[in-house]
Amino acid sequence: MDPLEFDFYWEDFPVGQMRAMGRHRFTEEEIVAFARQYDRQRFHLDAESARDTLFGGLIASGWHTCVVAMRGMCDAYLSRSACLGSPGLDSLKWLKPVRPGDEIAFRAKVLESRPSSSKPELGLTKFLWDAVNDAGEQVLAMEGWQLFARREPGADPSGQ
Amino acid sequence: MSTPGTLYWEDFTPGEVVEIGRHTFTEEEIIAFAVQFDPQPFHTDPVAARGTFYGGLIASGWHTCAVGMRLMVQSYIGRAASAGSPGVENIRWLGPVRPGDTIAYRRVILETRPSGSRPGMGLVRSRSEALNQHGETVMTMEGWGMFRRRPAP
Repeated sequence: MDPLEFDFYWEDFPVGQMRAMGRHRFTEEEIVAFARQYDRQRFHLDAESARDTLFGGLIASGWHTCVVAMRGMCDAYLSRSACLGSPGLDSLKWLKPVRPGDEIAFRAKVLESRPSSSKPELGLTKFLWDAVNDAGEQVLAMEGWQLFARREPGADPSGQ
Repeated sequence: MSTPGTLYWEDFTPGEVVEIGRHTFTEEEIIAFAVQFDPQPFHTDPVAARGTFYGGLIASGWHTCAVGMRLMVQSYIGRAASAGSPGVENIRWLGPVRPGDTIAYRRVILETRPSGSRPGMGLVRSRSEALNQHGETVMTMEGWGMFRRRPAP
């Protein structure tokens, strides 16, 4: 891998680092379009018939909020990073509904960082990715790992 | 009064295995999803993907999740008294999904309990599994769904 190919390697995500991942205003049109394709439940599909559900109106599919977060992540850092994918997420919480017109701010915080024990050229980073609405309420919180190539394979990060 | 044909919380039994359905992922849809939501080269560009860790195009893990959701709604959530989900745990993308792969989804009911805070509701915890045509597990997750309880007759 060309060492100058990417802006961000594993070393560039120290524990405690915070990063904004953009904002997105969810429109009724896109909430319904996503739901028609992937999550055809009444409270995601139609404002009229969503009114007499538990949610009292149209809300975005939780998966929709996740993929918009993913897009924000790609634009904020992932597309310019030496990321090799993710083994998964430890937790994903849909804390509050996202409604048409809500403007959601996405952000990332580095929780843990460690070199791969089996591959000296790789490192693992655990993030908290969350999303906050206009009222300052957290609507989504995800914790998971991403795998990155290291700028200096095998170097001891403790400097010993 | 309960609605005939509707699945209520009481209709979910721990240990029950539900075959959700299957889906063949095409190159075209893998790219279309990724261009919109997960534009990394190994999800969007078959040529560039060859030079990556994965050696070829693979579906976004979110795409595998979203298709699973669609099939779950078709299979049973669409006729259930569903009240959404507080979240999922332990999403594991265990193996890549490549163009032409047929993925079979199934769901195992792990436990059920009445909601502590909402009297008319119950919670169902289940594990979802996605397997490819070679029988390899490509994704698993565990999650809670909330359902209305069957109204008294």
